[in-house]
Amino acid sequence: MDNLLSELQEIFRDVFDQEDLGLTRESNASTIEDWDSLAHVNLVTSIEKRYRIKFALGELQGLKNVGDMIDLIQVKLAQK
Amino acid sequence: MTEYRWEDLHLGLKHSFSATFTEEMMQHFAALSGDINPLHVDADYAIAAGFPGPVVFGMMTSSLYSKLVGVYLPGKYALLQGIDIDFNSPCHAGDVLNVEGEIIFLSDAVRRLEVKATIRRENRKLVSKATIRVGLHG
Repeated sequence: MDNLLSELQEIFRDVFDQEDLGLTRESNASTIEDWDSLAHVNLVTSIEKRYRIKFALGELQGLKNVGDMIDLIQVKLAQK
Repeated sequence: MTEYRWEDLHLGLKHSFSATFTEEMMQHFAALSGDINPLHVDADYAIAAGFPGPVVFGMMTSSLYSKLVGVYLPGKYALLQGIDIDFNSPCHAGDVLNVEGEIIFLSDAVRRLEVKATIRRENRKLVSKATIRVGLHG
């Protein structure tokens, strides 16, 4: 598991309060129970704070899964 | 009541107000919450426990955080989404409580703000502090 995926797994475990949650690049809202709109807000803001990055309005709407999110985070980190 | 929209908000935006609870209010809170712990409703018990009088419920003082976001920061369009509270010292009926809040985080992507807030007695002694997570509707 690469570092970013491992770090995101810790964020997901905290947000969903699931210590055994296993995250893959293919994980998405249909594979993780309780991933509703408010959980999504909690995830996004946790990621923004963890990596000190900002997503723009609408920037996340095209993401299909965690892998897409990781790719976007890497782009944001490269721009810092 | 303020009516801030997302575009009106910025880091550092502040609001404050004052409030005072009475023993009658504490009796009402005990009735509505079901928390009848004598520390909050029995003066003799509270004094014997070393306090000057009944201690205001922590969750009752924290209702002022609800007012802070629902009436002032951001006001009318607030949706309270989460709150972390630390209680630092007790307060009592008649104490003037000063509530202050400041926006410390904004996420454009999901339109959430976070407010760092405190409740202090008139002597500036900290009663509690909180981080409040808020969305907007409408």
